[in-house]
Amino acid sequence: MTISSFEHDILIVGAGLSGLRVAIELSEKFDVAILTKVHPLRSHSVAAQGGINASLGEDDSWESHAFDTVKGSDYLADQDVVEILAKEAPRAVIENERWGTAFSRTDDGKIAQRPFGGAAFPRTCYASDRTGHNLLHTTFEQTLKRGIKFYNEWFVTSLVKDGESICGLTALDIATGAVHGFAAKAVVLATGGFGRVYGHSTNALINTGDGCALALRAGAPLKDMEFIQFHPTCLFGSSILMTEGARGEGGHLINAEGKRFMDKYAPEKMELAPRDIVARAIRTEVLEGRGFEDEYVHLDLTHLGKEKIMERLPGIREICIHFAGVDPIDEPIPIQPAQHYSMGGIHTDKYGVTPVSGLFAVGENACMSVHGANRLGGNSLLETLVFGRVVGQTVAEYTASAKAPDSGYVGQSAFEMREYLQTLLFHEGGDSPASIRETMGQTMDVLVGVYRKSDALEAALKLIRELKDRFKNVSVGRSDDKFNYALIRTLELENMLELAEVITMGALMRRESRGAHWRLDYPDRDDDNFLKHSLFTKVDDFIKTEFIDVNLGMFEVKERTY
Amino acid sequence: MMFRIARSRNGGSITHYDLYKVDTKKGMTVLDALFQIQDAMDSSLSFRYSCRGAVCGSCSMLINKEPRLACRTQVADVKDTDMKLKPFAAISESPSGWKQDAEILIEPLPNMPILKDLIVDMTRFYDALESMKLWADSDDDDSPRTQSPDERKKIERYVNCILCALCYGSCPVNAEKEEYVGPAALAKAWRFHEDSRSSNPVRHAKAANQPEGAPLCDLIMNCVKVCPKGVAPGGAIRKLKKN
Repeated sequence: MTISSFEHDILIVGAGLSGLRVAIELSEKFDVAILTKVHPLRSHSVAAQGGINASLGEDDSWESHAFDTVKGSDYLADQDVVEILAKEAPRAVIENERWGTAFSRTDDGKIAQRPFGGAAFPRTCYASDRTGHNLLHTTFEQTLKRGIKFYNEWFVTSLVKDGESICGLTALDIATGAVHGFAAKAVVLATGGFGRVYGHSTNALINTGDGCALALRAGAPLKDMEFIQFHPTCLFGSSILMTEGARGEGGHLINAEGKRFMDKYAPEKMELAPRDIVARAIRTEVLEGRGFEDEYVHLDLTHLGKEKIMERLPGIREICIHFAGVDPIDEPIPIQPAQHYSMGGIHTDKYGVTPVSGLFAVGENACMSVHGANRLGGNSLLETLVFGRVVGQTVAEYTASAKAPDSGYVGQSAFEMREYLQTLLFHEGGDSPASIRETMGQTMDVLVGVYRKSDALEAALKLIRELKDRFKNVSVGRSDDKFNYALIRTLELENMLELAEVITMGALMRRESRGAHWRLDYPDRDDDNFLKHSLFTKVDDFIKTEFIDVNLGMFEVKERTY
Repeated sequence: MMFRIARSRNGGSITHYDLYKVDTKKGMTVLDALFQIQDAMDSSLSFRYSCRGAVCGSCSMLINKEPRLACRTQVADVKDTDMKLKPFAAISESPSGWKQDAEILIEPLPNMPILKDLIVDMTRFYDALESMKLWADSDDDDSPRTQSPDERKKIERYVNCILCALCYGSCPVNAEKEEYVGPAALAKAWRFHEDSRSSNPVRHAKAANQPEGAPLCDLIMNCVKVCPKGVAPGGAIRKLKKN
């Protein structure tokens, strides 16, 4: 049986906001297609709640936005990338407004903006507490309008090179189980974050870092992988996100002694300190015995009143009622920190270019780096729309002069991938994917979490490497070719194990505390040795590590206090 | 808790039901239970999922004969609910052997072809978005527009739609008439019609009032009862019919 190959000028992997925005930029001039493992509207961008930053206010400025971002990043962000983000922000927000996003409004009809952590001005535009939902549906509508080609429910299994350059990929059609080759001049990875490496994460179950793992295997370096954002306020139990907007609207954090405690950690900004600081404060309260049930603290909104909660935070209220049986109008919300965002990702420059010719990356799976050691709330939705456009323009330039791909390579790679999957499916008697996944999640939660130290990280690395060994004989279990989600979830696990190892290696080798990366054994920031990006490249079966310089610029590196 | 789950290896129709014993704990959702089955008992069980937080709309299915999001449905609460839907075959006819007081029954969302187990073919549901051109007509202007809070309020409930298709799966008209675009698409058309920023509101009302649109709705209102987001498509359709 011959199985057909497909061919397009440009392939985009992932249909969240980044992938869709890239496609829109390219759709007029090129034959572009998006491969996505879920229908576009099920992408994790839909879950973003609080908002998108832009210096629209008269007293605000892009420089102020840039400064807050760089300071928030603990000076690890590349300042030339931050400049693009902050300068282009108003354009990106207004573009989406004109496409139809129903932003919340001020009384005089302007786009409303709320205060967010680490920001000098109320700069966060929002659509109630469903900003990601609104932006994603609107942007998806615009891709339908442009007739963009989608391969929905296709899982990308490998990137294919013709020697040095990317010339396509292989992908598994989830509906049939068949693996096909796709030839292309350029591939853009936009698969989002890898939160599910952790057991406790706000992320959708699909956030398994597929793009990062694909890039790593194709020889592209990953960057700053040790910087994992733990969101301070996640629903106890399910880890569903409780937006920072809840604190932006005036919510308080209360410990088991009934006290607001943020004055000890960030006396000026209090609850609106950046996420890394608030997450550590909550962990410290719990570790020192001032948590409820030794597990969580309260996010109290009751003093905001019913009207404000119903108008500004209706989605939060709905989640609390359905997933925790708590109505925040009447009672405080039990919360704890959980993994939320991946600051690290595929190493690119400010245009999304990776060191592998023909391979580009954008959004959460990329590390340009615009968030450095800690992302500010409201900057991730912004990153997708600003850099979706920028990277689209870059890919257009590259593609215009790129040679036509030789489909022979993808055909051969698809053949090899079918053989690999057959072998994988025939394993018997090994561990179940679920047992490996669970141990990985627990290991990362406990040993590579908010607080880190050398012996715990060493133990984690050993455990993860053991899991990688056990995975070699993993038993997927019996199933059918069609919609074999047990297989898909096993392939996702394979991707996550690669990343868990790299995250832990990065956490070990960064012997300082900066932003979201906190080492109990190295509690100070060390600019002399570590004002640098970490880089991880796969060479045969090993990971080569190195440090590269940060692009500093308009803002001087200072101590970071709030 | 026992789960009785509809199976269909090759799609088309439900071929049989499998029984699974799930270890339940406090706060467990139906989606959690399905993962427990796939992870520990039967790796061949297929279902869609993504956010597990009731915002992505992936896990729509029939739970004890009511269309629901699996992730938002607590196992402990399933037995106590009654949406009081107007019945049609898929939700009124129970499979033989189902012990209603002891088992939770899980079936694919009705009114769409079954592809495998709990996965249905949503092509017709999605196609309406394109055939009705459910998007804003943009222009080259790049200046910000204003909209008063009251104007926004008029469309808010409709923009909250997550396109989960529970309304489509609950509608007795969709059960009979394949050509009917369904409640969600009509609510979305009304959203654009009512948007104070719209440059061409008539286009969306026209699209909604095509023969396969609002005229086919019998105002049964199952869509309003099943909507997990309070969108109330039936209300929008009633207004469209008068428009």
